[in-house]
Amino acid sequence: MTGYLTFEIRRTLRDAKFLLFAVALPVGLYLLMADRFIDQGAPASYVMGGVAAFGAMKAALDVGARTAVERGIGWQRQLRLTPLSGSGYLLAKASVAMVVALPPVAGVSLVAGLVSGVHLSAAGWAAAVLGVWAGTVPFALLGLLIGQFATAQNLQAYQGAVVLVLSFIGGLFIPVSTFPQALAVVAKVLPSYWLAQVGHATALGGGADSWQAALVLALYALVLGAAVVVRYRRDTARA
Amino acid sequence: MNIHEGAPALSVAGLRKTYGETRAVDGIDLVVARGEVVALLGSNGAGKSTTIDMVVGLARPDAGEIAVFGASAHEAVRRGMVGVMPQEGALLDDVTVRETVALIASLHRTPLPVEEVLSRAGVADLADRRAALLSGGQKQRVRFAMALVSGPDLLVLDEPTAAMDVAARREFWQSMHAFAETGRTVLFSTHYLEEAEAYADRVVLMHAGRVVADGPVSAVMAEVGALGLEDAFLRLTGASEAV
Repeated sequence: MTGYLTFEIRRTLRDAKFLLFAVALPVGLYLLMADRFIDQGAPASYVMGGVAAFGAMKAALDVGARTAVERGIGWQRQLRLTPLSGSGYLLAKASVAMVVALPPVAGVSLVAGLVSGVHLSAAGWAAAVLGVWAGTVPFALLGLLIGQFATAQNLQAYQGAVVLVLSFIGGLFIPVSTFPQALAVVAKVLPSYWLAQVGHATALGGGADSWQAALVLALYALVLGAAVVVRYRRDTARA
Repeated sequence: MNIHEGAPALSVAGLRKTYGETRAVDGIDLVVARGEVVALLGSNGAGKSTTIDMVVGLARPDAGEIAVFGASAHEAVRRGMVGVMPQEGALLDDVTVRETVALIASLHRTPLPVEEVLSRAGVADLADRRAALLSGGQKQRVRFAMALVSGPDLLVLDEPTAAMDVAARREFWQSMHAFAETGRTVLFSTHYLEEAEAYADRVVLMHAGRVVADGPVSAVMAEVGALGLEDAFLRLTGASEAV
């Protein structure tokens, strides 16, 4: 499996356009939003937490979902004729998603620190970056799940809808406290709400009490991981 | 190298597979001895691809037994004893030929040297080209290299020349022939009668999910008293009335 993982990481890291976009989109969003929110009295670090979570989440989802293309052209089929196991393939893809999820968090944090003067202790920065990054695991798996359902043709539509719902209703951009009651209830069901909790809390220098969010995200990771494996098995048995 | 000393390269008994109402494979028995080059011949929908998919573990049979060198298909693939070129299955556009073959090599425990495989499959001069820039025939040869890289004792090729022009086809069969000359076993499917006639020791003719004739090319022809494989093919598959 390490052979395949190395291959996939090298392949992803030389896809400069994809990586650049993965970092540039959240950084750009941060710069746009930080201005407006700070005018309204919100701390820049609050914006940083939400947007970093968005960047990591979207990058992880994208990597997983792009497996739909490989599945469509028959690359997965080709791999099944090698000793690489299905779980080895899926694990490698999830790992790559996690690798790609780190630069957006780091990028947004860096810009927030340099441009908006967000101040955190060294431990605080580590908690902010690594906390959001670790919380991205369920989204890497959700991306894989989408990739094992979608086709290359309808992938964009699926992916767009999922990112939109998760980021807006999950409260990555707009505080859930401003939502109508019913929508706030829906928000708390979404994994992105809990990722936002981690992002906001750690960015504000706290986060020690994020255990509830960590628990929900871990549960999501378990369920989504199981769903990916079941779906992969069904998909390959059908052939 | 061999899982079960003396077991045939391939042994299939009572193989069945149904897709919905269609009996794609309807009870097949087949033994391929080591060193044989066998052509699986039949028209589209005869059940060739379904049979091959089951033999290499890509599809699960509804019923029947499959043994590859005495082991399960999955085990034989895992040990690199079977090299497969499935009909569908593609290359990653952003990856070069050498990287692709090197990747497959890295997944096997005892692969052949990548450069050797590239030249044996006739793609050494394309090694640094990304798959997006390859022609259909060139892609097939890369996939042939991927099938060769584990140093398999059995090669299974599903319509290997379907995407090739005449020149590419000839070149491909030369590489294939070189492989078979080393005493390895080959099972390939085709609907080109002349390919079966020219390159196989033995022909297995399929129709409607069953084997309708099985033997050396000459014997299959003699059996039906026909003058060429094409006539034998038409007669055995019952298509002669339609002609």
